[in-house]
Amino acid sequence: MSTESTTRQSSAPEAARHTVAGVDANVLALASTLVLVGTFLFVLYDVTNVVGRRDQFLLVAGGALVLATVVGVMLRPRVALLLTIALVGGGFAAYFLSLPTSQLALLSPTRLLADSVALLSGLSVLRLLSADVWALAVTPAPTFLAWYLAVRGRIAPAVAVAGGGLGLFVLTGDANGPLTLVGVGAGMAAIGFDSIGRYGHDGGQLDVLVVVLAAMVVLSATVTVLPGAGGSPIIPNSGVAEQPTVEASLVSASDSISVVGSISLSPEVRFEVESTSPSYWQTASFDRYTGTGWVRTGDSEPYTGGRLEGPEGPSRLVRQTVSPATPLDAMPGAWRPVAVSGNISSETLVTQQGNIRPARTIGTDENFTVTSAVPQYTPASLRRTGTDYPDDIRERYLALPDSTSDRVRERAAEITADAETPYDKAVAVEEWLEANKEYSLQVSRPDGDIAESFLFEMDAGYCTYYASTMVVLLRSEGVPARFVTGYTTGERVGDDRYVVRGLDSHAWVEVYFEDTGWVRFDPTPAGPRIDAETSTLTDARDEGLEGVDTNETAAAAAETNESDTETPTPTETANETETANGTNATPQSGLAPGLEERIGGTPGAGDESAADEGDGLLPELPSRETLFVGFAALVGIAAGVRRTRIPTQVRWATVALYQRRTDSPTDDVFRAYDRLELVLERDYRPRRPGETVRHYLAALSRVGVDERTRRVADIYEQARYGHGVTRAEADEVMAVADRAVRSRLPVVRRWAD
Amino acid sequence: MTDVHADADVDRAHSVEAVSDLATRISENVEQVIVGHHDAIEDIIVTLFARGHLLLEDVPGVGKTMLARAIATSIEGSFERIQFTPDLLPSDVTGVNVFNQQTSEFEFRKGPVFGNVVLGDEINRAPPKTQAALLEVMEELQVTIDGVTRRVPDPFTVIATQNDVEPDRTYDLPLAELDRFMKKIHLGYPNEAEETELLGRVSGHHPIESLGPVATSADVRAARETILGVTVSEPVRRYVSRLAADTRERAHLGVSPRGSIALIRAAQARAALDARDYVVPDDVQREVRSVWAHRIRTTTGEDGIDVVERALEYVPVE
Repeated sequence: MSTESTTRQSSAPEAARHTVAGVDANVLALASTLVLVGTFLFVLYDVTNVVGRRDQFLLVAGGALVLATVVGVMLRPRVALLLTIALVGGGFAAYFLSLPTSQLALLSPTRLLADSVALLSGLSVLRLLSADVWALAVTPAPTFLAWYLAVRGRIAPAVAVAGGGLGLFVLTGDANGPLTLVGVGAGMAAIGFDSIGRYGHDGGQLDVLVVVLAAMVVLSATVTVLPGAGGSPIIPNSGVAEQPTVEASLVSASDSISVVGSISLSPEVRFEVESTSPSYWQTASFDRYTGTGWVRTGDSEPYTGGRLEGPEGPSRLVRQTVSPATPLDAMPGAWRPVAVSGNISSETLVTQQGNIRPARTIGTDENFTVTSAVPQYTPASLRRTGTDYPDDIRERYLALPDSTSDRVRERAAEITADAETPYDKAVAVEEWLEANKEYSLQVSRPDGDIAESFLFEMDAGYCTYYASTMVVLLRSEGVPARFVTGYTTGERVGDDRYVVRGLDSHAWVEVYFEDTGWVRFDPTPAGPRIDAETSTLTDARDEGLEGVDTNETAAAAAETNESDTETPTPTETANETETANGTNATPQSGLAPGLEERIGGTPGAGDESAADEGDGLLPELPSRETLFVGFAALVGIAAGVRRTRIPTQVRWATVALYQRRTDSPTDDVFRAYDRLELVLERDYRPRRPGETVRHYLAALSRVGVDERTRRVADIYEQARYGHGVTRAEADEVMAVADRAVRSRLPVVRRWAD
Repeated sequence: MTDVHADADVDRAHSVEAVSDLATRISENVEQVIVGHHDAIEDIIVTLFARGHLLLEDVPGVGKTMLARAIATSIEGSFERIQFTPDLLPSDVTGVNVFNQQTSEFEFRKGPVFGNVVLGDEINRAPPKTQAALLEVMEELQVTIDGVTRRVPDPFTVIATQNDVEPDRTYDLPLAELDRFMKKIHLGYPNEAEETELLGRVSGHHPIESLGPVATSADVRAARETILGVTVSEPVRRYVSRLAADTRERAHLGVSPRGSIALIRAAQARAALDARDYVVPDDVQREVRSVWAHRIRTTTGEDGIDVVERALEYVPVE
């Protein structure tokens, strides 16, 4: 007998260990906790992968886990708690020390509080200035504490700690849906296995646990809490109508952009702009590339009136008056905005990248004027600039994720082999992309790094892909570049007046030149893009959609009828020459005035998975996600069904109704008894596991079951435990069972008696 | 009454109905002098028929001696009583060779252990060596003194009592020896009606004096043979071993195979008492508490009976 195993854990209430599928439930709980800690660490890994110090992070995280394992065996909780506090303090001290002095000067308690609130309300960790150090700072303490507790067998507090860590990243938006789901599921499983380990699963706890887990998977995969919010169900509603618009994916983006798959164009008029000079109307620029999208780092400052800093080189002032046709979340204007007037000016924010944006949505009756200082340059002047970039430009605009592969760098070197100056490199990359990739709005989003996939695996893409790839290529060649979103010029409807539609939204690239500042490059082939935009607009007009035209554009469209759907926009040429000064580098073709990229339902640029599968053109096999969710649903349903009476009902329907006589009286008795028991189970109660047939039938006969059931018990016992039964006895039992079953069939009951 | 059993022949004893009948006669006879305790009487008969021994754990004065005597009388067997005390020697139990000066030979003087029904009173008061002497006889059914082996009479059943009210003056039986008792039961106090009835009966002559036998030792031996032939089907055997495994899983020390065998024997006897020549799970369930509870040790202060009850609840009956 099990002397040694029981004495060892004599303090436990029970000597027996509980297992699930042959594995000790405590081990499963520990493993689940590790998965949860893993999801927390995975978010930080992602962050460090984007912003650097990935290797240091791995060391820190691994060290914390090892330390916790060792300490868990040796140290008592109080010591471990002190150690945790030391880790927290040390981590944040390191973070603050690493901040640049300029930022440190800004630190104040209110500022810290505001920042914390901002983090908790969706500010991505990636937007923190020293996100790398921050990640290293927050890694050790929760990792250590959670794993320490888990090793000590305190699963619930461990899950609370690790879940809290993951929860922080859910709030910051850095943990995406599937990862969160894995984390929450693991936490749930850890708790469940822990209680099974403690109390066993005699009462069907395992079923309940499975049901809860499956419900979590299925609900989180199919239900979005906030209608139209960025939260992404794993299973997208497929269909063209659900494709995001280019505009939604780019312009509405506030702090970050996730590159999506297929996309569409919205022909609705967004705003009219009156400008002394046509331009691309920029709304935002992004500095941090995450491999799957773009993030704007740093906080925005309120615009306090007066003149903002202009470009480094010579510039020319341009005044633009914008009249929104639909509510706007952005303030389009030529680079580089230096002043804002109008109602909204008091609620304008200035980003650290030099862009302006409204702090609220701008209504349709709120015109505003943006004054921009447009840089003046020529190819020659750009060629002459040096590469002695300021430090903050280097830090921000040359960074690439640690995971950027060598073949991307090699390809960049190849493309720019003949180029010597940054300007020539930019032109080379732009031309290469225009020449080698097709324009298409129907793409499925690649799994890995966007730029790498677009370079090596994809044949076609749209502006986001072109622009992202160009920035990555330039950065890997040491040329500071950034990802810019906004609208193209739009349809010219009069002197200095342009109608801009949703389908004009666009993404392009800006490259930094010393003494000049940011210069626009657009690697997206203009022709195909305009074609796409034009045909969308034509279709929209044909369908008679509202909001597609202003009076003027309608008139123009009527005049130019077929050929001109893409309202010729002479302005564009002017626009181009002016900014790029003859470089063919930026062939900003006339943007089909007017085409806006319609992207359907899911606003929220952060909705990265929404378009994942959205091709909608071909019937497709269900995606892996769908299959997984379906599988989870099935398992959950199966476990749930086991908790209900359904199995009884099914057995009733299949087993009870009819019995054929066989050659073996014994078997007939067993079968007849099973049928009888089903009837009794429905009418009274099931036989308990440890209850004998005799006791069961005797108990029921006391509450009114036919006395003949006693006889059944006798015959059944003879058949099972005794020396067999005769044919007559078997028939007797079958008759009782038949009668019991029939009297309970609704249709037959009335004849039975 | 004597003639009731006179024609009880071997043929009748060979059927389970005869066993059942015999048991009924014995218990009805015993109940003439013992008020209440019907279940305990049946337990003793089961033990007697299943070749086992019984441990009674009770306070003094609830009629243990009377019960044992009544049983012995009913089967026309001899009754012996051993009062265990701290100074009792093994030879006081088994007997001793004494020198007969007339014949100049040693002759064996039988100890009290030579009886059909032996009551070992307060067995836990005697030192272990003396306890062991009795337990050895229970196992071997013979006594060996000075190289001479003598068999105890057949049938031979020991009913031992333990005193649990003065635990500081006792030598607890080691578990290995407890294992040799087939069953352990409590008599407990009679209820009000029973006690009133009891007091009425003893106010005159004690009825035990007039109690006569209703069976012979041969009847008991025949019944024992019959019971050996009661069928134990595979589902029942599997049920018993699952119960045993369950106690081993849940307790520090579960039931030994010896305990499982004892349970099967007791269940066979119980089936025969029910005039059935096969064992059903109900027989097992009926017997398992008294057969197993005293064989189980837990580290958590739970009683063995709790472990058994839980096994009964969770181990499914086939």
